[in-house]
Amino acid sequence: MITVENLNVMFGRGRNTVQAVRNASFAVAEGESFGLVGESGSGKSTVLRAIAGLHTHWTGSIKVDGMALTQKRPRAFRKLLQMVFQDPFGSLHPRHTVDFILKEPLAIHRFDTVEPRILKALDEVGLGPEFRFRYPHQLSGGQRQRIAIARALILEPRVVLLDEPTSALDVSVQAEILNLLDRLRREHGLTYIMVSHNLAVVAHLCERIAVMNRGVFVEEMTDEQLRTSTPIHGYTQQLLVASKGYDREAIDGFVEFT
Amino acid sequence: MADTPLLSVEDLRVSFNTPKGVVEAVRGIDFELGQERLGIVGESGSGKSQTGRAILRLISGNGRIEAKKMEFDGIDLLSANERRMRSIRGNRISMIMQDPQYSLNPVMTVGSQIAEAYRVHSKAGRREARDRALDMLETVRIREHEKVYNLYPHEVSGGMGQRIMIAMMLIPEPDLMIADEPTSALDVTVQLQVLALLDDMVRERGMGLILISHDLNLVASFCDRVLVMYGGRIMETLDAKDLHSAQHSYTRGLLECLPQLDGSHGALPVLKRDPAWLEE
Repeated sequence: MITVENLNVMFGRGRNTVQAVRNASFAVAEGESFGLVGESGSGKSTVLRAIAGLHTHWTGSIKVDGMALTQKRPRAFRKLLQMVFQDPFGSLHPRHTVDFILKEPLAIHRFDTVEPRILKALDEVGLGPEFRFRYPHQLSGGQRQRIAIARALILEPRVVLLDEPTSALDVSVQAEILNLLDRLRREHGLTYIMVSHNLAVVAHLCERIAVMNRGVFVEEMTDEQLRTSTPIHGYTQQLLVASKGYDREAIDGFVEFT
Repeated sequence: MADTPLLSVEDLRVSFNTPKGVVEAVRGIDFELGQERLGIVGESGSGKSQTGRAILRLISGNGRIEAKKMEFDGIDLLSANERRMRSIRGNRISMIMQDPQYSLNPVMTVGSQIAEAYRVHSKAGRREARDRALDMLETVRIREHEKVYNLYPHEVSGGMGQRIMIAMMLIPEPDLMIADEPTSALDVTVQLQVLALLDDMVRERGMGLILISHDLNLVASFCDRVLVMYGGRIMETLDAKDLHSAQHSYTRGLLECLPQLDGSHGALPVLKRDPAWLEE
């Protein structure tokens, strides 16, 4: 479904050039859920944004559903692929009602049956019709993230990119959103690429996981290998130790990987 | 715990007057703190941050703090005047905020901010304050501390910014440190390194530490004791090592809804809130 080969993303020019992603290559099959983990600055979100077309300074090849992508994306691509962002407070327009937020993509893509689609989208993310005419500030963080997911799914995309969809939420709400994402994927046969810094969240939702550090793919493994702690690379091992909680001796042994 | 606790709080209540009526953020909590690491965990809106701020009487204008007792090292924090409070804040009790980029002064170099914190609470001269600030930067394990001294807050990374905040809060050598989500914005490895620093201060200097966090696993592995808060009340208090065998249904619910590395792909149990938790 998605093939990325030798992706390089550069920011800045001349002496100030920063290479955020170096020679990233990976493939995601249809219906698969692929996770990208790494610390801040590892380039994981940049990979996602380059696929979505939000970054244009990239070289290499990105193919989605057999379509080789250029910097400019056709409208059909937007219908095929949608994205959910980290911050549900920043990703919804504060002066648009839920109704308007959900209507806008339908109008852009010239869907005709607007009314039933909005009601269906709300129902699918577990919100009743009473939420339809509310503004984002009248919703909790979890409800906002549900609206962001509804907005992404209303175009019936086949690929959804998830950029830290639960890291701004409480753990109790995180569980609800993870369950929702899992159910929607099974019901609609969606393909996910999810970015997160939380190994447990990625291992829960994804079948295959890639670890990134400083713009480079360190290693790729299945969720089973991550669970049984078979990753070979020292960086992944260190992330695993760190995600298990406070252990004074282990912390003193932490090293920086370059 | 020592015979006389460093901090004792009885029936603390924090409420806010809003156009929609009075909102009670903290609804009658009691706890004591010795020279130990106490964790306060809870979801957003549970009142954990307001509890931390109430100890320093840092509540916004429409807020009210009431308590039967709020005593720190023999000082009644409720009746102390503002002048007295200012001599306590920073000097005896200090607080680390969540976001270093917002809490540091953007137009002062980080080094001079740390030196300023020292000079406010002691009669030291410029030269001495500068030397102390440099030592402190070294203590919080900042490499090339001479260079970092002259940087502005926007020029340092999040992890380094948080270490600078900690250096600034530790330089007056407080007896009690309140850390409100000090590491939530940091990467896991950096997060643990920052906690290790606080841990050293507790062990070496006998400081009391209140760690406010939403991360149960982190608190369980780091602290000595944990308060679990919900809806402005303490649901239960337990030794951190017993957190995973907690009895209260709220604590259990929070623990169970965490995805586990060794868990399955099945649906996660969702927290079911019991209105009885809000009653006595």
